[in-house]
Amino acid sequence: MTVIDYGMGNIWSVTSALRYLNCKVIVSSDPLAIQKAESLILPGVGSFRKAMNALRDMNLEAPILESALVRKIKFLGICLGMQLMGIDSTEDGITKGLNLIPSKVDKFSLAEIAERKVPHIGFDQVNSDSSGNLFKGISGNQDFYFVHSYRMLPPDSQGIVSTCNYGIDFLAAYESDNLFATQFHPEKSQTNGLKLLDNFLKA
Amino acid sequence: MLKKRLIFTLLYNSGSFMLSRNFRLQAVGDFDWLQRNYDFSRISNYIDELVVLDVTRKKRNLDEFCEVLKSITLNNFVPITVGGGVKDVDSARKLLRSGADKILINSGLFNKSNLARELSEEYGQQCVVGSIDLKRSKTGEFQVWSEDGGKLSEASARDLLEIVLKKSIGEIYLNSMDRDGTGQGLDLEILELLPKRVNKPIILAGGVGNSDHLMVGLKDSRIDAVATANLFNFVGDGLKKARQELVAGGIVLPMWDLEFRSMHEASSLQNSGSHE
Amino acid sequence: MINLKWCSRCLTMSARPRISFNADGLCNACVWSEEKKLLDWKAREGELITLLENHRSYEGKFDCLVPVSGGKDGSYVAYNLKHKYGMNPLCVTITPALPLPLGEENLRSFVKSGFNHISINPDHEAMRVLNRLGFIEMGFPYYGWLTSITTAPIRVALAHGISLIFYGEDGEVEYGGSTETSKKPIYDTEYQKRVYLEGGYEKVLQNSGLSKSQLYFFEYPSDEELVDTKIKLTHWSYFENWDPYRNYLVAKEHCGLREADVANSGTFTNFSQNDQALYALHTYLMYLKFGFGRANQDASIEIRRGAMNRDQAINLVNLYDGHYPEEFLEVYLNYYQMEKDEFDLVIDKYANRDLFEKLNGKWTPRFKIV
Repeated sequence: MTVIDYGMGNIWSVTSALRYLNCKVIVSSDPLAIQKAESLILPGVGSFRKAMNALRDMNLEAPILESALVRKIKFLGICLGMQLMGIDSTEDGITKGLNLIPSKVDKFSLAEIAERKVPHIGFDQVNSDSSGNLFKGISGNQDFYFVHSYRMLPPDSQGIVSTCNYGIDFLAAYESDNLFATQFHPEKSQTNGLKLLDNFLKA
Repeated sequence: MLKKRLIFTLLYNSGSFMLSRNFRLQAVGDFDWLQRNYDFSRISNYIDELVVLDVTRKKRNLDEFCEVLKSITLNNFVPITVGGGVKDVDSARKLLRSGADKILINSGLFNKSNLARELSEEYGQQCVVGSIDLKRSKTGEFQVWSEDGGKLSEASARDLLEIVLKKSIGEIYLNSMDRDGTGQGLDLEILELLPKRVNKPIILAGGVGNSDHLMVGLKDSRIDAVATANLFNFVGDGLKKARQELVAGGIVLPMWDLEFRSMHEASSLQNSGSHE
Repeated sequence: MINLKWCSRCLTMSARPRISFNADGLCNACVWSEEKKLLDWKAREGELITLLENHRSYEGKFDCLVPVSGGKDGSYVAYNLKHKYGMNPLCVTITPALPLPLGEENLRSFVKSGFNHISINPDHEAMRVLNRLGFIEMGFPYYGWLTSITTAPIRVALAHGISLIFYGEDGEVEYGGSTETSKKPIYDTEYQKRVYLEGGYEKVLQNSGLSKSQLYFFEYPSDEELVDTKIKLTHWSYFENWDPYRNYLVAKEHCGLREADVANSGTFTNFSQNDQALYALHTYLMYLKFGFGRANQDASIEIRRGAMNRDQAINLVNLYDGHYPEEFLEVYLNYYQMEKDEFDLVIDKYANRDLFEKLNGKWTPRFKIV
């Protein structure tokens, strides 16, 4: 498993969780390593625009797309990582994303969330679709850790969609072929998160 | 439904973990002590978030703190907020790469720096927690203190809170210096300082001694999370029991499948022999 | 194995002298703490004000005496007498045998915060002999000092024409024991001898081989000397709801009290009993005799004031109680002029075999707190 290090992400937590699950982890910011990786995880915390700029500046965008779309290796985006897989984001003006998930990233609007607070922080229930791989063995509605101010809406196209309701049903997790993504942090979601990561590793 | 959070706070001071009583520190034990007496590898089963604050009063050693942070966060798969003397984005970066998920700033909210904005531009607003220490004056009004309770702010607590709530922070951690470490329960009157419409999650701390205190806090609609740093009172299975009592008392908290961890750890041990 | 039981609310043990349990399993300290919530404290304060009125000096003379150590309790009492009730207290400390630096610092701070104070230093060797005798004969390692804090203040009061002495709390009432003084504000030296000095007072003094002058501060004034000055002894805890934690907060705020940097020996608190090294030995012996030590006492206080529940307290007591004070061992051996073997033999004498067994050279409890 190769974890992409582009300077923005809680690498330590993600790698700890993977190691706990007895997974051999490589952390890399080298485009060549990404090109050869057997499977990839794209973590992320922070600004969408900064993140995309970093990926581009570090020449990581191309090998990521190639691995995901051509080599079709297992690929998981976490939190900002999932958002980067989207079409674009309106955070600081419009920034184009990796376009791996057919959905846009936008801020939670007041109209959507009514009296609720932003950021959406804490453990919240995911209405999971267990027909896919991620939620195998995690029955029913489960709590995962969210911390975000921006969200993606569930895409209409194919793909296994799991949502969470925060005034509006937003995209909590996504699966399509070799592509996986979670808005929540599995490495911060206690045993539910560990199980999910384990499912991803075994998928 | 978004759940409320039970937060445990660790106070770190040059290698020791401390108990604070009205901001006066007593050394309790080092990381070994925590592991032995807090079932620390399982502590994340009983709490929703861990806060680690570097309350060292002498010169802080960031690298040392980061090393300790790595040990603390190893195998604890719960959100971790770290703070204490964070002055710039570089320190924050080091902490985030050592296991922190969110950065807590206190004095940085009140001095002339734009620390909150710089951090949120770099890492996103949800990554920044603003912490405010409050103490009543002789006439009973709340006042805001910073720099480990050493510096008094002239402005009114109400005004300051309003200003801070508008800054680029994700949540607010309100701490009662009067109740700190006393076990007398949370000071809910602090919440009356907040404006009517609060758009950010509120964490209240200061005074928790037992699960009843936690319950009172979590039942209050103005509070999103309660925190305790009472290192003595929750020793042993204290946090586990507290969580059970809260759930039994009707507080909706996330429930975890602990079997998964014990099974996984048992099989890992079998496969790899007897090493850690 | 004797039939041990613990209070259903706090952790006080049945082995404690003069303890009793009610039908619900509550010890007398807990029963008292409940009674205190319903007590008419306004009336009690009224009694205090009347008492003080009868003694108040308007000429700047000392009108009451408060034994203090520099710690939270005496400081609290003195502070209130002076600032809340306008009295003119003379504070008196009987210097302990092995004072700790923090204790001395706290005493200085207390005095500096604005009190008239006298430090009595009884004959050092006499104190040592009595402490040693107390240690060996009764398992009371600071018996001499304990005696002098009841006798010497009376001598000082007499010398200064003060007829009212305020102690802090009656430990018997507050922490479990005889409840005689819970309804009686004024008591006398007979009670002190019987209860505090556990009836061993005369015997120890007689066997000491010390001269009358050496024993001056360890003896009560004679009945003749006392007959003209009726000295009233009283407890602050009769007039106001006694709350050790509150005392600590007030002493910290107004009298410069500083806590230790780490927990005190055998407990998890750091703000109490910081004045002398022998206290750790005293509480260790108490632990061996009765099964409860300093942590147990502190935890029970915490339970009663609502800061923690019983399960939490058990965890702390299991972790901290019954600590052999090895950090002071050298100091004790030098003071008592004993070798370690002799010292340990004395300790062994007081270990209750029903409660403890010696495993690997360490007294280990045979009981588990339930």
